[in-house]
Amino acid sequence: MQPILADGNGGALFWELLVNGLVMGSLFALIALGYSLVYGIIELVNFAHGDLFMLGAAMTYTLTALAVSWFGTVTPGGMSFAIVLGLLLIVPFFCGGANILIDRAVYRPLRRAPRLVPLVSALGVSFVLVNIGQLWIGTSPLSLENKAQLVSDDSLIQMGEVPLKWKDAVVLITVVPVMVGLTWLVKFTRLGKAMRATAQNLVAAQLMGIGVERVIASTFFVGGYLAGLAAVVYTLKIGRIEYQMGFQNGLYAFTAAVVGGIGNIPGAVLGGLLLGFIYSFGGGYSQGNWVDALIFGVLIVLLIFRPTGLLGSRSREKV
Amino acid sequence: MTPPSRSAIAGGVLFAMLVVLPQLPLAEWGIPANLLTELLILSILALGLNVILGTTGLLHLGIAAFYGIGCCITGILTTSIFPFQTNFLVAMMVSAFGTALVGLILGAPVLRLRGDYLALVTLGFGQIVITVLLEFENITGGKKTLQGLFPPLLPFVSEGTMGRRGDWQTFPHFYYLCLGLLAIVYLGLGNLERSRLGRGLVAVREDELAAGAMGLNPARLKLSALAIGAGVAGLAGSLFAMHNTNTTEPQNSFNFNWSIIILAAIILGGLSSRAGVLWGVVLLMGFDKIASRIIDDSLQAAAADGNTAFRLSNWRLMIFGLVLIGMMRFRPNGLLPERRGTSK
Amino acid sequence: MRFRWFHLLLVIPFAFPFSAGCSGCNKREANTIVIVSSLPRTGSAKGQTDTMVNGIKMAIDEYDGKIGDFKILFQDKDDAEASSGQWTAAAETANANAAVNDKDVMVYIGPYNSGAAAVSMPILNKAGIAMISPATTATGLTKKNADNKDEPDIYRPSGKLNFTRVVPTDDLQGPIAARFIAEELKKKRVYVLNDNERYGEGIAKEFESGARKLGLTVIGNEKINVAQQEFGALMTKIKNSEGGPPDAIYFGGTTQSKGGQVAKDMIKTIPNCVLVVPDGCYEKAFIDSAGAGLEGKVFVTFGGQDPTRLTGAGKAFVEKYKEKYKTDPEAYAVYGYEAAKVALAAIKKVNKKDRDAIREAILATKNFSDGAIGTWSFDQNGDTTAQIFTISEIKNGNFVPVKELNGLKPSAP
Repeated sequence: MQPILADGNGGALFWELLVNGLVMGSLFALIALGYSLVYGIIELVNFAHGDLFMLGAAMTYTLTALAVSWFGTVTPGGMSFAIVLGLLLIVPFFCGGANILIDRAVYRPLRRAPRLVPLVSALGVSFVLVNIGQLWIGTSPLSLENKAQLVSDDSLIQMGEVPLKWKDAVVLITVVPVMVGLTWLVKFTRLGKAMRATAQNLVAAQLMGIGVERVIASTFFVGGYLAGLAAVVYTLKIGRIEYQMGFQNGLYAFTAAVVGGIGNIPGAVLGGLLLGFIYSFGGGYSQGNWVDALIFGVLIVLLIFRPTGLLGSRSREKV
Repeated sequence: MTPPSRSAIAGGVLFAMLVVLPQLPLAEWGIPANLLTELLILSILALGLNVILGTTGLLHLGIAAFYGIGCCITGILTTSIFPFQTNFLVAMMVSAFGTALVGLILGAPVLRLRGDYLALVTLGFGQIVITVLLEFENITGGKKTLQGLFPPLLPFVSEGTMGRRGDWQTFPHFYYLCLGLLAIVYLGLGNLERSRLGRGLVAVREDELAAGAMGLNPARLKLSALAIGAGVAGLAGSLFAMHNTNTTEPQNSFNFNWSIIILAAIILGGLSSRAGVLWGVVLLMGFDKIASRIIDDSLQAAAADGNTAFRLSNWRLMIFGLVLIGMMRFRPNGLLPERRGTSK
Repeated sequence: MRFRWFHLLLVIPFAFPFSAGCSGCNKREANTIVIVSSLPRTGSAKGQTDTMVNGIKMAIDEYDGKIGDFKILFQDKDDAEASSGQWTAAAETANANAAVNDKDVMVYIGPYNSGAAAVSMPILNKAGIAMISPATTATGLTKKNADNKDEPDIYRPSGKLNFTRVVPTDDLQGPIAARFIAEELKKKRVYVLNDNERYGEGIAKEFESGARKLGLTVIGNEKINVAQQEFGALMTKIKNSEGGPPDAIYFGGTTQSKGGQVAKDMIKTIPNCVLVVPDGCYEKAFIDSAGAGLEGKVFVTFGGQDPTRLTGAGKAFVEKYKEKYKTDPEAYAVYGYEAAKVALAAIKKVNKKDRDAIREAILATKNFSDGAIGTWSFDQNGDTTAQIFTISEIKNGNFVPVKELNGLKPSAP
């Protein structure tokens, strides 16, 4: 293991890992928000969320392949920009819609059941989605760049020795406005108000005339939308999809949500970034093999000392 | 005399079936008999998880990790690389108690977590165990695993008197060994459920606050359940190592999927009813490990060029998932629910 | 006890054996000899194993499925599970056990992965079933080595040999890659990565010692975490290694252990660096997962000859293959064919349905030239004496052979 900032290269490694951590962290945060929103409303840990993300990535790949077969070759510049834009429009809606369907078919009939019942169903949904992904994209990993190079590998700007690559920039350019938009949605719109009311007390919200089922469906849609968005930018950055990618990324994101305080939006973002840094520095400085242990070690220690997460409030912990 | 309960009948029927099964001409029907042994081992594993999940109501998502630990301890004790080279009996006992100890140590800090958080921590713990098994490869063999485990069965019996080296690890000897151990675990856990401890566990499951108010110590009870469940899982892991004659590659054999598949089997059969758990394993794993293989083989034989587009094994996760969803929706107490009055 | 419909479900496990029993109603005749292959038929290795199985079938067809009084039946078993996308110990164990149980099974062709071989060898060894692997290359399976003093004896509980292979071992393949890097590519500084599997780690070690002998600077030998989705952070670290980035990276691993992603991240992160990978990545799926820009940057070593370079009987085989399956054979097709030919020749020689006799006949194969790769023998360990290696680069999404090297004689232990 090398000491930080003394890697014989003027600390360039440190800064590159920092950028990488920021980018991965914002991806984790996007997925974590989906867990957090749903948990906030119906206290369900939606284990299938990570696999929804995987389906989003599969959709991204399929749509790109479709576009390539449609236009022949995709030239960098205007056309690839248009395709990326199209992906960012379509895939999130696909994931959001799928999430609503899953809720309607599986979770909704179980609203009054004991808490473990929908949780186990979510595990089942996760398995079903993984199997769909396996039948859809096959069992071997696929490379998006074999279809088209949608985002270039070049650097956008060079900060000293540290490049900010286009691929990283795309993630940040997408994620930051979405975070702002989501905050606006929850804080200032009617729907957001209804969501918060439902999260506070479902029955009371119903009594106040809020269409609770509609609010829950919207929450699932927003969660799925964010997962779809994350899937598109993830696929553009990493460039490789696989039907098992949902499990690990989902687990990281879920951990991020819990670390930040599940059910709490800024918490999910904070947790996501924290995890991104652990992921990046753990992979860079230690051997990448210990990343999992590190992440879950942090999780367990945190839960022991602060079971509600970094930003979680005590009031959510019901007996 | 009271008539035997439904689950006693179901359990009896199953055991009778399992005793007779190896005597049938399985090979002629194309059934790999050794896979039956694996069913028994998985049944023991499921009974272990049932103590934690069924009896005590703690959602544990990392049972496969304990399976792996048990497997690994047995591997370390019996491999020719290390100086221990114990016999199987000692290795099995050390595996079971060692795994129980690990369960105890890891259970202690997370006791005050409930429900979802406990599930998450056990899941994370499972991931950590896999990492540890992979990374301390000088001890555990890592991905390359410890190979060639052929210990003698009992102490003080020299090799040769019990047939050739490793003979007892083959079918049907090992099958009956596993069946005997399964019966012991089954009856032992039955006694446990009827004991003071077992009733305490059920009380914690039904209402932890009330149990605490009645003077029970929920923390200690939960800890006992975690330790017992882990110990039984460790025993199963030990048998698994002997069955394969190696410690299996952790990333595929002891991962989260396995924890959930065992969970699905328990839920199918009936949470907390031991007979139900066994039936769940036999149905689900029997389907997955044996029936789907046979069906795939005959599909392949039927196809002209030996290439079939449809293979049941490509749908196995879907089947597990649908079982979980369907059972939760329509019959959350399983096919053979526990009889003890539970009102939810 | 009230009757409920679901009680009927409990009958299902009983129904399975009987229904299966009936599917086996078309009972085999007593003079059937079964040859089993156990290869990963699901997941990313499928492309290669498809052509192996085709090769095996062609060999059996050449005999019209009959040798002497015996009918040859071929069973194509899968040792991969869809849920993991690659071989699993559970599936390989099950295949081996099923072969042991089936009294008609005489020869076991496979497996594809060295780790899988370690799992199934002891099981089959006890039953005395001969194994012929068309692809496993790990040294320890057949030879004494420094890493594990008990190898290969732990794989032979019966004390007899039963494992043979028609491809050369990694103690030749690793140094060949080092020689290629030093002599052909003229690179100086290498970084070694491995996937921590039996095969990958073993070949990486062989490569490392070979590289040191040739005077290359080995900056590090590190295992990667296969569970990770991408290796950007690792590559950043390698790029910033002390003394500057390496000229070449050697990855000991397979497509299934993310060889493609290693290639992709290396090309993205470290300019002017080449990657050399062993035969575990010699499959189309590797190119599919590695993405674009591989030309001149990624080289693959393979313990055998590319189908396009075969002559004589090999060329005839390739042509027949193309005619029959309408595609070009992948490199391993020849080795599937070769393995089956060895098995069939031994059965013909013995002309008995006896596992032990056939096993001994296979191990005694000397100066064998009925197959497609020229003349070779099995040595006292069951390893082939053929030692030609091919190094290929990737052009337009295909492997193109660039160099053929004769294996170095292994240095004396």
